[in-house]
Amino acid sequence: MIRRAVVNLCLFLFALSVIVPLLWVLMTAFKTGHEIFTSPWGLPHTPQWENFVRAWEEAGIARYFLNSLIVTLATLAILLPIGAMAAYVFARYPFRGAKWLFGAFLGGMMFPLFLTIVPLFFLLARLGMLDTLHGLTLVYVAYSLPFTVFVLTGFFQTLPQEMLEAALIDGCGHARAFWKVMLPLAKPGIIVVGVFNAIGLWNEYPLALVIMTSDERRTLPLGIANLLMVEQYQSDWGALFAGLVIVMLPVLLVYWLFRDRIHETMIAGALKG
Amino acid sequence: MTPRARAGFITLFLLPASALYALFVVIPVVQAFAFSLYRWRGISANRTFIGLENFQQLFNDPLVWRALSHNLLLFVGTSVVILTVSLALAHAVGAESALARFLRSVYLFPQVISLVVVAILWMFILNPSFGILNATLKAVGLKEWAITWLGNPYTALASIGVAHVWHALGFYIMLFAAALRTIPTDVMEAATLDGATGLVRLRYVTLPLLWAVLRIALVYMAIGTMNIFSLVFLMTQGGPDRATEVMLTYLYEQAFKHSEFGYATALAVVNFVLVMALSGAILTLFRHNPQEGRG
Repeated sequence: MIRRAVVNLCLFLFALSVIVPLLWVLMTAFKTGHEIFTSPWGLPHTPQWENFVRAWEEAGIARYFLNSLIVTLATLAILLPIGAMAAYVFARYPFRGAKWLFGAFLGGMMFPLFLTIVPLFFLLARLGMLDTLHGLTLVYVAYSLPFTVFVLTGFFQTLPQEMLEAALIDGCGHARAFWKVMLPLAKPGIIVVGVFNAIGLWNEYPLALVIMTSDERRTLPLGIANLLMVEQYQSDWGALFAGLVIVMLPVLLVYWLFRDRIHETMIAGALKG
Repeated sequence: MTPRARAGFITLFLLPASALYALFVVIPVVQAFAFSLYRWRGISANRTFIGLENFQQLFNDPLVWRALSHNLLLFVGTSVVILTVSLALAHAVGAESALARFLRSVYLFPQVISLVVVAILWMFILNPSFGILNATLKAVGLKEWAITWLGNPYTALASIGVAHVWHALGFYIMLFAAALRTIPTDVMEAATLDGATGLVRLRYVTLPLLWAVLRIALVYMAIGTMNIFSLVFLMTQGGPDRATEVMLTYLYEQAFKHSEFGYATALAVVNFVLVMALSGAILTLFRHNPQEGRG
């Protein structure tokens, strides 16, 4: 009985250690600069919604938010179809060298990002894609492919073969059968992979740090990290706290909506890797 | 479908993904190994082949050793904490109650928010003028404990370790909880009926059954701490006075501040090989499950 109580207390304490810092940021985002310094634990006297307005307008968060949204959506728009196409072939159309090619894709999950960062930087410079949103997007697509192909291949393997055969008998070509029948069937898998990638892309920092240099093309993580370092905003802590809330709120919302599927995918990916 | 049409279909469907992957991942990986053999400063195409000189220089660079020691310290320190807490809580978190499900979801919050947010969050918590840590210490009368955590060479690395644990812990708790759920409940019930609870159950039932997951988790922890970058780069930039310098922040400095691209790439190669070696060592060291197949 006592042991159970101790374990439950630990569970509760750990949950608090997660929640309290997050709530503290949320609470501080509504405080005046004076309140932030004089009473770190205190509640805001009157909620300072202006902190969010200043963060959004003056500190440039609106621009960064838009950039992140563009890059994340564009990446998904390219990644999901081409990843699904490749995964479909790996799952359904065995060919000579398929194992080898699949292995090459999976190998990407093993290489640390920084192994390629210098060559990648020069490659992008030569292609004229350094400091461009489309350059960052294509790089994101490439680096998201291993996980995407891995999960979707597993998903396509579980789909019933009869559906494909029925479509083929109906006179569909193989490509048409894929787009009209198999891809819609794979929708649950595509959604999970899409959400999973979206969270990772929205949060991504090191690649964007190296590839993007000009302020107006910064993504949200880059932008908020820069605000922290820029002297002029060091005095406006309220706006910075509000900025943090703006960065993490969309992700937490999406995570909460899809949490059960995200857990499954996380565990499956981790244990098979 | 004729073999020709089939080959065409396969090629067409694989081409877009393979082309992008080859261009932005495979070619840079191959180039990384080549670049590490050159002396190459600045953006110019001015490269000199110097063989293994970069690696020799690296071996004699005290900052590389210092950075590596910080990576290893972080690995040992954080994995001890993560393993202890996640193994202790895994049973309770893995339960099928509504509360356990809710807690599992909450525990993953730090994992799904950006590392940039995690870094700034902890910088704010540890901030000497408005952070809640020092405010709390002062409130409970521990005024002399309220120090500049990130500005002190003796506490900066540990502070980063705390932020890393906060970020990573939820994932490992989930992992162990999920692994425990795959164990048939009658095994657990039999063990509990036999009086095996607490540490005894951990030693003779939980650990052996989790052995395979434990190995993988240790490898993930090694990879995570050997490749730590964002937290350090944002929280301390490797300071104060290099007290938190790690392999990848040093690499970043060499490449993008000093334009020592050849040297930085050699560092990347060494880091990659070290991660592989460390992972291999962990897998070998923990190959034998102590409770299985004796002799």
